[in-house]
Amino acid sequence: MVAIPAYNEAATIRAVVDRVRAELPDCDVLVINDGSDDDTAAVLAGSGAVVADHLCNLGYGRAIQTAVLYATRGGYDRLITLDADGQHDPAQVRPLLAEFDQGRWDILIGSRYVARQKYDDVPIGRRVGMQLFSTLVRLTAGRRIYDTTSGLKIMGRQTFAPLTNWQFIDFHAEALVYLMRLGFRIGEFPITVATRSHGQSMYSTLSHVKYPLKTMLMLVLGLVQANLTRKRTS
Amino acid sequence: MTIAGVVLGVAIGVVLLLWVVHLIRGDRLYVGYGVIFVLGTLAAMTVLIVPPLLDAVTRTSVALLSVPALSIVPLVIFTFLMVYVFAQITILSNRVMRLTQELAMRSARRDGELESPAAEQP
Repeated sequence: MVAIPAYNEAATIRAVVDRVRAELPDCDVLVINDGSDDDTAAVLAGSGAVVADHLCNLGYGRAIQTAVLYATRGGYDRLITLDADGQHDPAQVRPLLAEFDQGRWDILIGSRYVARQKYDDVPIGRRVGMQLFSTLVRLTAGRRIYDTTSGLKIMGRQTFAPLTNWQFIDFHAEALVYLMRLGFRIGEFPITVATRSHGQSMYSTLSHVKYPLKTMLMLVLGLVQANLTRKRTS
Repeated sequence: MTIAGVVLGVAIGVVLLLWVVHLIRGDRLYVGYGVIFVLGTLAAMTVLIVPPLLDAVTRTSVALLSVPALSIVPLVIFTFLMVYVFAQITILSNRVMRLTQELAMRSARRDGELESPAAEQP
């Protein structure tokens, strides 16, 4: 199943869904309309996508959690997430799926940076953040993840339970560290991402201060939680 | 401040930190609120531990507000109360969130027709 969290993405969501359905006709498409104020729900009429409407805005992390819960209850084997702003080309999901199907990964991230291993095309503030979280993941989980904030991911069914049993902010570095410490295999696969043409990023100016602080705290707690969970189960 | 006062202050800070972390781990305190309490407590503990900082803060606070030293007691109680109130808000917020997610899954539709694996579950 392909899950697309959407908040005020009326301008792009229909095109994204149509492209996903054309590229992946064998996949169900779920759009989590996260309390949009615009016509996001209306433009999806007749698209063939399943639409789950949050009555109010819960945020990206909770929208992903809804998708994981839906996939769990629906008995899906794999959950593919991608962004609603049209930045991810659905044609890139096929090679990602092919890599995932080799069984080497529990989660495979479509990564903008794993190929060139540097963050030269992003603003300085964001570059520092990405470098920081990538390094923190390496220090705490033993393996570097270059693109901790990518919205394009494939998750195997075995990761659904841990992803819904604990809370995460945006399913970024804090979730990756938690899962890696639990023994799940997380890999990256190179993709390219288009420039956003409509709408605005989910990160406001203030959230550039709040997000790293929250993520760092959750990363530490995730580390503790994963170690406790491992001790309990062993 | 006396050594005993510093030790007591740091001990209260540690208790507050442990409580906040415990609440966040249990999803009973939103991490955004938790970060504020953690940073605030760490800042207060740093001021207590570093004598020049403590002197500077004491001089400034006495110059601005002529308050008795005992006013720190209601401040500590108020901080603990704030954590409790925010924890209750988080618990309520989590219930609303789960309800919203459940409603979204149960009413998930395809082309206007109800089609929900969530609704089939007991």
